[in-house]
Amino acid sequence: MNIKHESQRIAHSFYTFAVLLFLVQVVVGIIAALQFIWPEFFILNFNTIRTIHINTLIVWLLVGLMGATYYVIHEESETELWSLPLAKFQFWLTVVTSITMVLGYIYMGINPQANSPIFGINPLNEGREYIEAPRWADFLIVVSLLLFLFNCFMTVRKTKRWTGIQGTLLVGITFLVIMYLPGMIYTKNLIRDQFWWWWVIHLWVEGAWEIIAGALLAFMLMKVVNAERGVVEKWMFVEVGLVLFTGILGTGHHYYWIGTPEYWLLIGGIFSSLEPVPLLLMVWNALKTTGKPRNVTNKPGLYYIVANTVLSFVGAGLSGLIHTLPQINKWTHGTQITTAHSHLAFFGAYILLVISMIYVTLPAIRGVKDYNPSRAYQSFWWMTISMILIYLTTTGAGMAQTYMERLMGLDYVAVKITYNMWFWVFRAVFGVGFLIGVVIFVMDFFRLGRESSPVMTTVAE
Amino acid sequence: MSNKAAKNLFIYGSIFFFVIFLALTFDTMEKLDKRAPAITEAVNAGKMAWHKYDCIGCHTILGNGSYFSPDLTRTANKMPKEYLKQYLMNPKALNQKAAMPNLGITSEEAESLAAFLDWTSRINTNNWPPKPILAKEARIEDKDMTPGQRLYRSFGCSNCHVIKGIGGATGPDLTRVGNKRDKAWLIGYFKDPRAYIPGTVMPAINMSDADMEQLTEYMLTLK
Repeated sequence: MNIKHESQRIAHSFYTFAVLLFLVQVVVGIIAALQFIWPEFFILNFNTIRTIHINTLIVWLLVGLMGATYYVIHEESETELWSLPLAKFQFWLTVVTSITMVLGYIYMGINPQANSPIFGINPLNEGREYIEAPRWADFLIVVSLLLFLFNCFMTVRKTKRWTGIQGTLLVGITFLVIMYLPGMIYTKNLIRDQFWWWWVIHLWVEGAWEIIAGALLAFMLMKVVNAERGVVEKWMFVEVGLVLFTGILGTGHHYYWIGTPEYWLLIGGIFSSLEPVPLLLMVWNALKTTGKPRNVTNKPGLYYIVANTVLSFVGAGLSGLIHTLPQINKWTHGTQITTAHSHLAFFGAYILLVISMIYVTLPAIRGVKDYNPSRAYQSFWWMTISMILIYLTTTGAGMAQTYMERLMGLDYVAVKITYNMWFWVFRAVFGVGFLIGVVIFVMDFFRLGRESSPVMTTVAE
Repeated sequence: MSNKAAKNLFIYGSIFFFVIFLALTFDTMEKLDKRAPAITEAVNAGKMAWHKYDCIGCHTILGNGSYFSPDLTRTANKMPKEYLKQYLMNPKALNQKAAMPNLGITSEEAESLAAFLDWTSRINTNNWPPKPILAKEARIEDKDMTPGQRLYRSFGCSNCHVIKGIGGATGPDLTRVGNKRDKAWLIGYFKDPRAYIPGTVMPAINMSDADMEQLTEYMLTLK
């Protein structure tokens, strides 16, 4: 199968940048893991390394989702992009902004005084996790997102085929852009600061991004197993509806202990406990739709789609559920239990989502009729097994920490450097396992369809 | 359910929940000022310094952050302000084992960071972090404690020192201090620490001679 629209190739640039940032993110993650063992292991302090680790994550997932969206908009609208030069400009704007941003973090890591406020604004790093991007970068990111949205909307307007999938996808992206704005307000009060900060973080990953994920899941099921549009779109509306019904008020599970009123304990507890329900529905949807015997042509694509829904439910759903009730969260809040959960959740819900989209759409972009899927499976198992082991070791560290620090009253540092040491050692080892999986994936990304190999998977017309 | 019904459910249901969320947000904003002390210029300056040095890239505060270094929400309750300020400016000078690097924090910044952390220590956090439940249960009642143990607790020695794994990591471990020091050394040291260990941050202890004797007796039992 080949792409039908020439400008669809723009997705390829976005995927390439995303995949390279993914590699950077994981290498940096291993440095961070080693700093848990030797805090002075690297020339940059942990805070800089951690900032780069989580910023590259957010940027590569966003860039990957943008590439995927550009691809989908063409197919759903059945037309070329409204403006290819604009899309290219928007791509390079994103690349230059993110690279400059990271160089700024590194410079600040070497010389902390370089981040001294200019007119009350920190020029290199805002010092708020995940949204460390300084104000100038915030504006460029918003401009890039708006150009992207504008281009997509104008493309849809050309043919006015308002399908459910692209409608939902664009609603998700619009929501994403709007939810970036509460992170751009400075408040003197740390409680207000964290309150609005969670609007960005929570309403992204448990709101806007899940809407996008629901729409892309529907698209991929149609592509890979030729599922019927009417059926997948109905599933999609129910899924993303439930995501928002539970997720919006589920924000309350971040408002238990930050100085906000007590009623959030009740609201957050109830609604966040229900957040796994739509994720379970996605698993059921994927299994039901792909389970029937049929002639599947893109097996790695199918493989990743199902794995994405299952690991999203396990990582984002179950591993969050176990510590979301205030009675439990009171003890686990602020411990490694959260770190463990966020690793498995981002991997299951979003890393696998973007990789699924790459495997579903890349063969068409490259015009490949057949390709060797063995690297796709190898990288999947290296990454998945390593990530589950990273989750388990970090959870172990979190349990020891919760017990010793929160329940027995031991000092944080004593627990971290004595009782948790072996967990850190094993986590670093499993991190290397994860890196091996990523390297195999990145190699596969660059080689897929560009080498002669025995015919193993046929991507038929 | 028809496709259109599912779509409408998604759109109007989401709007419904978002409106409730907005209403709760307004209500929360109204109530916040009563849940923490007023914010002075020094507190805000401290918050600015907090962001400037990307402190949250290692520490957590209100339980949110990077889980690499201690949570700082209640730090001001545990450390004397002077100690905190000196530590911020040059951590390893006070504690050789400190993982915290020297970031070049100025004395003005250290002063305002201390004010900021004092402010956070007084936020009403719905009782988070919780009091360690096992330590409370295993706690010997006052009547069963020796006078020396009681003094050790009331002077907050365990904020910095560890005995058998319990306590802070800032000062030396006292689990076997009885093997290392004698009575005269300890009493002299409590009265004027810097005469014995130049440059130490241990404060001089102001207590009666009788109490000093009791505390020293307790130290000597630690072998």
